Amino acid sequence: MKVYGGSTTETEAETATATSPEQVKVGIAEHSVASGEAVLTTSGLGSCVGVAIYDASASVAGLVHAMLPSQDEMDETGNDAKFADAGIRRLVTELEREGADRSTLRAKMAGGSDMLDFSEDGPGIGARNVEVGRRTLEEFDIPVVAEDLGGERGRSLRLETASGDLVVKSADRAQRRL
Amino acid sequence: MKVDIQSLGAFNRLTHEGAEQATASMCRMTGLDAVVDVTKISLVDRADVGEQLAGGEFVGVGFDFEGELAGETALVFDRESSETIAEALVPGSAADEAMARSSVEEIGNIMMSGFIDGWADFLGATIEHSPPEYVEGSGRDVLPAPSGEAATVEGPDAFEGIEHGDAAGSGEGASAAGGSLDQVFVFRSEIEWVGESVHFYIYMLPEYGPLADVMSNQASAADGAIPVDKLGVFNEMTSDGTQRAADNVEMMTGIETEAEVTQLSFAPIEDVPKQVGTDIYVGTVVEFTGVPSGYLMVLFDEVSAVHIAEAMMPVEMDSDELTDQHKHAIEELGNIVTSGFVDGWANVLQTPVEHTPPRLVHDMGRAIVDPLAAQVGRHQDHAFLIDSEMRTDDIAFGAEIQVLPDEKELRQALDELLVERADRTEADVERVFE
Repeated sequence: MKVYGGSTTETEAETATATSPEQVKVGIAEHSVASGEAVLTTSGLGSCVGVAIYDASASVAGLVHAMLPSQDEMDETGNDAKFADAGIRRLVTELEREGADRSTLRAKMAGGSDMLDFSEDGPGIGARNVEVGRRTLEEFDIPVVAEDLGGERGRSLRLETASGDLVVKSADRAQRRL
Repeated sequence: MKVDIQSLGAFNRLTHEGAEQATASMCRMTGLDAVVDVTKISLVDRADVGEQLAGGEFVGVGFDFEGELAGETALVFDRESSETIAEALVPGSAADEAMARSSVEEIGNIMMSGFIDGWADFLGATIEHSPPEYVEGSGRDVLPAPSGEAATVEGPDAFEGIEHGDAAGSGEGASAAGGSLDQVFVFRSEIEWVGESVHFYIYMLPEYGPLADVMSNQASAADGAIPVDKLGVFNEMTSDGTQRAADNVEMMTGIETEAEVTQLSFAPIEDVPKQVGTDIYVGTVVEFTGVPSGYLMVLFDEVSAVHIAEAMMPVEMDSDELTDQHKHAIEELGNIVTSGFVDGWANVLQTPVEHTPPRLVHDMGRAIVDPLAAQVGRHQDHAFLIDSEMRTDDIAFGAEIQVLPDEKELRQALDELLVERADRTEADVERVFE
C-alpha cells in the first residue's frame, strides 16, 4: 500500500512540474490514495469490484480493487483491501487522513461481472461484491454517482484523481468515462 | 520431509516481505518507483529453473548463504534497466561500464541484505552470506545452477520407473530415459518497475537438508502436512497429463506439439490472477468435481488462438481476426486438452474426475482468472496452482493450462495417492496412464 501526496514531499514537487501525472498501479487486493494530479490504475477486474472514492474539492482520491465481499465471512483478518467492506472502510479512513471531508466524498464503482460464475445457488461473487460494496458506502453516506457493473466482461480502470473521472476499459467495447 | 501448508504460507509471506524490503531499499536509493508484483514458491524440474528469463540479457548479484537455511540466491534485472538504475544512482555512470557495474553491485547488495535479514528475523537465527558477486548472462544462465544439494525432491522408490522429459512429437507419451524425480524448490519474487515493463527477479534456491529441518520445525501439527515427495510425484504426473493434452492437440491438428514447463506453485490467492498476463486470451474453463475439485483453464493468447484454429479448419481463412469459427475451433480444442489432462489425472489418482462442459472465454487474462480465484479464495488464503505450457516450433502457438484445485481436497488426494501406490511393488506410469 502506498500513500502518495502529503504536504511537502519531493515527489509531489516533481509531479507538479512534470508533464504527465504520476501513475500508481493498484493490484488485486490492494488500495491506494493519492492527492493532486495522479492517475490510479487497476487492470483485469472480473468478478472483483473496483471502488473509486474522491473528494473533488480537496483533490484527494482513492481506489480499491477488492476480490471478495466481506471480511466477516472469513477467518482471516489480514489484508483489508481484499474485501469490499473492509477495503472501503480503510479507503475512507485514509482519504480523511489526507484531508478529504466525508460529507463531500463521492463514489464510482465498476466491475463485479458474472463471468465464469459456476455457482448454482444464489448470486455469484461479482454480484455479492457489488452488493456489499454498496452497503458499505451507505454506512458512510457516500453516494454512488456513477457505475459500470455486472455483465460478462472484464474491465480495467483508470482513476484521474484531480477530477474524480473513472475511465473504464473493456475487451469488447470502447472505453467509457464515468 | 513434510511440507506443511501453514509453513508454506509463512514462507511465502516472508519471501514477499523480504522482496518488499529489498524493493524499498532500492526505491530509497534511486528515487525510482517499484512494487513487488508476484511471490511464489514453486516446485520445478531442475532443468526448468529460471525458464521465465529465457531470451533476455540479465545482470545482478548472487551469493551463497548458510546457517539455519543454506543455499544460493540471486537478484537479477535486465541489462537495460540496470543502466537506468545506475543513472539514477550516479548520473552519468551508465556510460562507464565499471561504474555501471559497481552500481549494480551496490544496489544488489543493499536489496539482498534486506531480503536475507528478513529471513533471519523470521527464523530467529543467523544466516551468514558470502560477499555478493556480480553476475551477468543470458536467460537462466545468469542464475546459480541448482547444486546437487539444492532441495531436490527424490521420487519414492515405487516411482523410480517414471519417465519424464521431453517427448517431442513421439505421440506416445514420454520417451526420455527413466530415473528418479529431480525437482527443486524455488522461491521467487518478481518486482515491477512502475510505469515500465521492466522486471527484477529474486530467486532463492535452498538446500534440501536445512530447508527440511526448518519446514519440520515450522510444521505446527501433523494435520495439513504433505510429504514433499508426494508433491514431486504429483508434479510429475501433471507433466504427463500435459503431455497427453499435447498429444491430443497433435492428433487433432497435425502440428507437432511439445509439453513444456510444468510447475506446482504455491501463492497467496490474490496473486493467482497475476500468473496470467493482462493481454487478451481466448480459451476454455471448466469446473471439475471429485477430490480434488477446482477449475481448469486452457488459455491461448489471441495470435496463437488464430494460428491453431486455422490449422484445424478445412478451409483457409484470410482474416487475422478471431472469428466465430475460430472460437468454435478453440472450444473444441479446449475440450480435448481438458480431457487429456483430466483423464491422466484421474487415472493416477484413481478417482473419477468429472468436469462441466467447457465454457469459452475471450477476455483480459486476469479478468478470466479472477472469478475463479475468488471462488477458491472463499475457503483458503493460499492456493496451489498447477501451471503447464505447450509450445510448437512449426507455427507460432502457445497455450497455458492452469489448474486451481481446492487446497484441502488436493491434500486429501495426495494423502490417498501413495497409500494406494505403496501396495504396488512396481509402478509403471505407462500403465497408470493407459
